[in-house]
Amino acid sequence: MLKTMNQKVSIFLIVLAAGYLYAAYNLKKYPYVPVDADAVPKVLGYLLIGLAIILFFDKSSETEEDKEKRNVPKKEVPIMLGVGFFIFLYIFLLEILGFVVTSALFIFGCSLFLGYRKHVTNALVSIIVPGVLYVTFTYLLNIILPQGILPF
Amino acid sequence: MGAMEGIAQGFQVAFSLQGILFVLIGVIAGTLIGMMPGLGPISAIAIMIPVTYGMEASVALIMMAGVYYGAVFGGSTSSILLNAPGISGTVASSFDGYPMAQRGEAGKALAIAAISSFVGGTVSVVLLMLFAPMLSQVAVSFGPAQYFALMFLGLTAISSLSDGSTTKALITATIGFMTATIGLDSQTGTSRFTFNNPNLMEGIDFLVIALGLFAIAEVCFLIIKRKDTSLSDQGDIGSLRLSKEDFKEMRGPMTRQSFLGFLLGVLPGAGATIASFIGYISEKRIAKNPEKFGKGSIKGLAAPETANNAATSGAFVPLLSLGIPGSGTTAVMLGALLVLGIQPGPLLVQESPDVFWGIIASMYIGNIFLLILNLPLIPYIAKILKISRPLLISLVIIFSLIGVYSISFNTFDLYVLLFFGVVGYFMRILNFPAAPFILAFILGGMMEQSLRQALTASGGNVMALISDPVSISLYVVSALSFIVPLIRTRKNKSAA
Repeated sequence: MLKTMNQKVSIFLIVLAAGYLYAAYNLKKYPYVPVDADAVPKVLGYLLIGLAIILFFDKSSETEEDKEKRNVPKKEVPIMLGVGFFIFLYIFLLEILGFVVTSALFIFGCSLFLGYRKHVTNALVSIIVPGVLYVTFTYLLNIILPQGILPF
Repeated sequence: MGAMEGIAQGFQVAFSLQGILFVLIGVIAGTLIGMMPGLGPISAIAIMIPVTYGMEASVALIMMAGVYYGAVFGGSTSSILLNAPGISGTVASSFDGYPMAQRGEAGKALAIAAISSFVGGTVSVVLLMLFAPMLSQVAVSFGPAQYFALMFLGLTAISSLSDGSTTKALITATIGFMTATIGLDSQTGTSRFTFNNPNLMEGIDFLVIALGLFAIAEVCFLIIKRKDTSLSDQGDIGSLRLSKEDFKEMRGPMTRQSFLGFLLGVLPGAGATIASFIGYISEKRIAKNPEKFGKGSIKGLAAPETANNAATSGAFVPLLSLGIPGSGTTAVMLGALLVLGIQPGPLLVQESPDVFWGIIASMYIGNIFLLILNLPLIPYIAKILKISRPLLISLVIIFSLIGVYSISFNTFDLYVLLFFGVVGYFMRILNFPAAPFILAFILGGMMEQSLRQALTASGGNVMALISDPVSISLYVVSALSFIVPLIRTRKNKSAA
């Protein structure tokens, strides 16, 4: 039924707009306010539905270049998910282990995972970059980054 | 004291050994801080305030002006080299700057940015000197209705920010606007689309969206192309030298955007971001080859770079002559002035002419130093591109994450950043342009506020939006800017 990618995307957008509109209709209303907090969101919700319908019936065909863009080699998908997992882990550990340790582990681990084999350079960059950033932010700019397990 | 005497006195202060030294320090510090992830002119000035304690007011402000200029330029480098705009004012620079860097012309791209910034900054300082008192009067006459019309004009430009389908550009803009509605409503205090999550009460920060849609989405593509060594294998980052043809191409956008950027900078709230977007869009509209925009066009890079620097000077008009800060950055600057015991306003030029004209004169030398400093540094800055892809990917991720963390100190925003990275990636592969999303996100919030303020003030009378010549002319320009490209496209199609 859904032949083109545009049609699939438009269905997703209609669902998104419907959810947004549902939330907009449930916003608290105040009397004597000429334009309440829900006015603009309602207009936007309906506008998105309208645009999604136009997209659904859009007859312009995709070029080969467009299709090629979507064509991600299958072996790259786990790598991308892997990097995503590394980022998740980084965010989770940032305030526990501290900026320097987490960043050093992330840079070394992620670069290694992506195929960087110059281990000495990797180790040096992993230590120097977070170290310099930490000193600059914390001591020079007075922007306190998580200290974590390190004593400074 | 006459204006000429004041200017002479200002130059005397700025060109003293002390003045030159502090402009130099300001420009270097500003450029370095501006290059840091997530830190823009606001942070740069705020950080430098404590340094000015105990300094003579005129010298301190000369340094601050240097910091301001330096930070705006510093932000452009990460936009051009990594597609990671640290501040909203440099988003438009990445549209053509990044493709140029990608095809091995990083040196040229940075040189264009430096020269355009210099021209935009210098021309606008002359304008600031000539028209500061007069323009400030026009700027205050802009009420909510006129702002709404101005934002509307900005939004009609969305179709220009897309190479492909206008429908897709409008869809991303609508979603961008919807994203701007998340958080506490500033007029009624209603919590909108926050799902009772306290982290969403203040809305989503611009930086989270910009870095997500641009930098993190780009990381996904870098992962796929990480074995492609064409860029890092290049012996050079390309020549910094610009040919006569390059200068010829830059001349038009630099001249036009110096004036337009300055005017937009004068308007409180408009500032460098809107100036850079409108600069980019207007040049695309009038270009003979608009299809080159977004693919590394010289005009496409020169226009926003000139405009954002010109707007930077423009923003000083309401600050110096009325004491009204027109942007977040000049608000911090106002704080710095007050710390130094100076009350900006109409009396500033009479009471402290050395300060008033000193700042303006320092902008001239600030711009010259910016150019002298940055051009020789370009080959070193652009070496970033020669870093091995896996290592570069890790570093871009760290810079983006820490950029966001340093403004919110909250890991929740980092998850949101990751979310927008995924959204940005899917938008790219499905051919939905990211630029309209950002533009609508920035303008949408301001547009809604202006609309509601205008209607509240008029008791709900919609006619208040079109009741004065300024608004009407802005709507006419909006309509033209939407219709003319459509007619042009139709004509091109029928000719083909």
